[in-house]
Amino acid sequence: MSQPKQFCTFYLGAALFGVEVTRVQEVIRYQEMTEVPLAPAVVRGLINLRGSIVSCIDLRRRFGMGPAPEGVLASNVVTQTAGGLVSLQVDRIGDVVEVTEESQEAPPDTLRGAARKLIGHVYKLNGSLLRSLNVEGVLDFESSTRGSSPQN
Amino acid sequence: MATDLQTQLIHDLVEESVEGLDQFDSEVLALEKGESGPDTLNTMFRVIHSLKGTSGCLGLGRIESLAHVGENLLSLLREGKVEAQPRTTSTLLRYSDALRAMLHSLGLDGKEGEHDHAQLVADLTALSNLGENPQGQAEAAGLFEDLPEDLPAPTPAAPVSAAVVPPAPAAPVGPANPPARAQEKAAVVSGGIAETAIRVDVGQLDSLMDLVGELVLARNQILQFAGRLAEPTLLNATQRLNIITTKLQENVMKTRMQPISNVWSKFPRIVRDLSRELGKRVNLVMEGRETELDRTIIEAVKDPLTHLVRNAIDHGLETPGVRSAAGKPEEGLLRLRAFHESGHVNIEILDDGSGISRDRVVQKAIQKGLLHADQASRLADREVYALLFAPGFSTAEKVTNISGRGVGLDVVKKNIEKIGGSVDIQSDPGRSTTIRVKIPLTLAIIPALIINCAGSRYATPQASLVELVLIENGQAARAIEYVDTSPVYRLRGSLLPLLSLREQLELERAAESQEAVYLLVLQAEGKQFGLMVDGIHDTEEIVVKPLGKELNGLSVFAGATIMGDGRVALILDVLGVARRACVLDHAGRDEAAKGIAEIRNSDNREGGTRQSLLLFAIGGDQPAAIPLSHVARLEEFAASAVEKAANAEVVQYRGQIMPLLHVGRVLARESSSADETVRVVVYNHRGVNIGLVVDRVLDTVDGVFSIQRCMDRPGVLGSGVVQHRVTDFLDPDALIRASGVIEFAGAGERL
Amino acid sequence: MPKTILTVDDAATMRKLIVFTLKGAGYEVLEAADGVAGLQVLSTRAADLIITDINMPQMGGIELTRNVRQMPQHRTTPILVITTESEPDVKARAKAVGATGWIVKPFQPAQLVDIVKRVLKA
Repeated sequence: MSQPKQFCTFYLGAALFGVEVTRVQEVIRYQEMTEVPLAPAVVRGLINLRGSIVSCIDLRRRFGMGPAPEGVLASNVVTQTAGGLVSLQVDRIGDVVEVTEESQEAPPDTLRGAARKLIGHVYKLNGSLLRSLNVEGVLDFESSTRGSSPQN
Repeated sequence: MATDLQTQLIHDLVEESVEGLDQFDSEVLALEKGESGPDTLNTMFRVIHSLKGTSGCLGLGRIESLAHVGENLLSLLREGKVEAQPRTTSTLLRYSDALRAMLHSLGLDGKEGEHDHAQLVADLTALSNLGENPQGQAEAAGLFEDLPEDLPAPTPAAPVSAAVVPPAPAAPVGPANPPARAQEKAAVVSGGIAETAIRVDVGQLDSLMDLVGELVLARNQILQFAGRLAEPTLLNATQRLNIITTKLQENVMKTRMQPISNVWSKFPRIVRDLSRELGKRVNLVMEGRETELDRTIIEAVKDPLTHLVRNAIDHGLETPGVRSAAGKPEEGLLRLRAFHESGHVNIEILDDGSGISRDRVVQKAIQKGLLHADQASRLADREVYALLFAPGFSTAEKVTNISGRGVGLDVVKKNIEKIGGSVDIQSDPGRSTTIRVKIPLTLAIIPALIINCAGSRYATPQASLVELVLIENGQAARAIEYVDTSPVYRLRGSLLPLLSLREQLELERAAESQEAVYLLVLQAEGKQFGLMVDGIHDTEEIVVKPLGKELNGLSVFAGATIMGDGRVALILDVLGVARRACVLDHAGRDEAAKGIAEIRNSDNREGGTRQSLLLFAIGGDQPAAIPLSHVARLEEFAASAVEKAANAEVVQYRGQIMPLLHVGRVLARESSSADETVRVVVYNHRGVNIGLVVDRVLDTVDGVFSIQRCMDRPGVLGSGVVQHRVTDFLDPDALIRASGVIEFAGAGERL
Repeated sequence: MPKTILTVDDAATMRKLIVFTLKGAGYEVLEAADGVAGLQVLSTRAADLIITDINMPQMGGIELTRNVRQMPQHRTTPILVITTESEPDVKARAKAVGATGWIVKPFQPAQLVDIVKRVLKA
């Protein structure tokens, strides 16, 4: 019998995503952020998480989606990664969902090139699709050279 | 004796003896260089004597008897009964190596090893000039027959020094064997000041450090709120908290820090051996030995640094023949420099060898497929040299055994990056190579000036801050001058390149109505520049927290910190800002050349004094220099503003008539400037302003310069090398006198 | 009441060895790494016997002995110096400044305990 996995889920627009519960440290509401000049646009800023300084990644931007509609106050999913904690900014938090290996599917072919790197497995739920986020892929973006190469 | 204790004691003996042999080597090298002092031989004797005694007590017969032979020789040497001969020092170094080898074996498997020392023993005995010294058959222990009362009255003894002086150089807790086991051994002296060293698990120190860091943050917050509440008792308690936290922080950091001399102490020996092997002469200079590094970093950096040093001697420095053919002193310079800057430890390795040819690197890179031919020209020098760190790269003609595989710089880079550091190479082909290793302090709590820019706060490490200048609104336009299109500020005669932080961070432009501009005079790589910001807050102690990997590419920020109110502020990396703005382009080479010149000159001072010079170009780029001291301003005038008065050209300047002197004409050079703008250096000649017309102002420079005098041209003192170019050194006063323009000066009423 | 012995030697390993040996024989042992430190210890603690090495930085064994003999409470305290056969005149110098006896290193632990017992009974 396959081991069920639990996901902490969230929405970007209407799409449902999830990160394995074991990797999620906590979920927080909107946090005051310090912007980082010259940083890649995907990095929205830095937040103070009980004394730790954590980067906040704008997932909408990362997926190439436009900005959130008016009135949506973002939430943050604080996630463990190989390099430390990272805060993923999302539209709205969903429930904790348990999936089984049976419901696992390969990502649909309709998924565009860049997004393929960002998503691992996909799980069929009752009437919706849960996309498992590939956190390492999310963090693997071009560090902008604005921040370091000589300007003349 | 219990085997546990035996093992422990052997372990201690090995450690203690290796340290002793390091000292021994140092003294031998000093002896060889002729720099030995009265204590040199004593120290050497003591080390071997100690080793002999202790190894004997532990039943280590082979080490004991080898030590015995050396002890004989040293005893005779220090008593002056035998003279040191040319091969004495080499033999003693071989001796030290032999002992080390045995100790090494001992450390590995508890056995003394099977080494054969017959030749060495023979050599040592020969140097002692006496036969084998028979072991005395003295009684092992005994009492003197006389009782103490029968002794003559004690002579007024040397005053008892009550100074609490630590005995031998306080032995630092040895390099933590990574990862340290949680062993705790205490060798504590009850009631006395003596060697006190305990072993503590490095992990424990880590958590201690973290906790202290958090404590500092909490203290900052409390300080802030206490200030607002202004309640006396609270304020008092907060003050105490402040003092205690600071002290705690200092003490905890000290436990982890070790001076870099721990790593460097082995270098003199390595350099000596390697340079002999290769037939090169090397002068090793080490500056900043007391610079402290975190313990764990010292371990990690030992090998990379050793590799770089060996590399410099193997591939950088040339043989004496090649050097003198190139006009360099036969002895090559290898300078190691360590210092703290911007929350990092910087280690510089400079050699005045053949440098690195950019073209050869490019060629090789293209060959190896690392680079396309058309990309080559677009790369800055630094980027080209960075290619040397690519895996598999090697520009050495042959693979030598010395530094292994020719270069192996990729491994060096990897190891340094593993501890969060960075390494880069700069080179002045034919002249020097400088390798810079930058390593972050594990937990840095540094004083920083909090500044404001475009509504956000940033922290500037105090260590890089030279001074603050306030430019009030009205003055900004006048205070800031332009050299070509670059803004500069004159600070007590020096021209400071200016940067605007807003611009550098690509933030929105300031509103026109900005009240005042604050100028931070910052220093990086020995060169100063000014950074304009909107406002200045206090200086605070901040905890430097590293930025995540996702922000790795940002060289302008050294990390981030949490302010008293809980918000995050970024910490500026002064060097990163300067480099990105190219404000330091020539600084690297200047520093290298200066460093080399200083060391070469320190032995043979030609009586050159430091000068500040203004460099400018007249006609086809040939530079000229005048002393900066009497330069009043740099000005530009429209060609139309120049008027003719009798035979001179003058211009109205600040309500007076200022005559113009075309330097090019006086030097009989063609001015290449056909501009509408006339560029003028306003020079104060005995209280009168004279305008020296030049093509372009190049730079200001500080240094000691040697001038080859020439007598045939009035106004020209001679020529010298400045920034690697032959430059004419002018005497403006003489030029002015010779030209006769002075008659037209200051005559406001006449015209 | 166990007797207290002060051992003075700049080689930590040697000190440890002596400490272990003498503690095992029932004595209380104090340590110092050179003459200066040794005097420091003696200014606050009482010792019934002092065992000192000769060659040490800052202040060696001979000078230490001389200085200890200046202290009123240690005019007659037994002092043993640790010598080696390669320095034959050390014994004479030690005797001249008031040392009580000597022991030659390298020595066996048993030899150390032996001479200590002799000296403390005397």
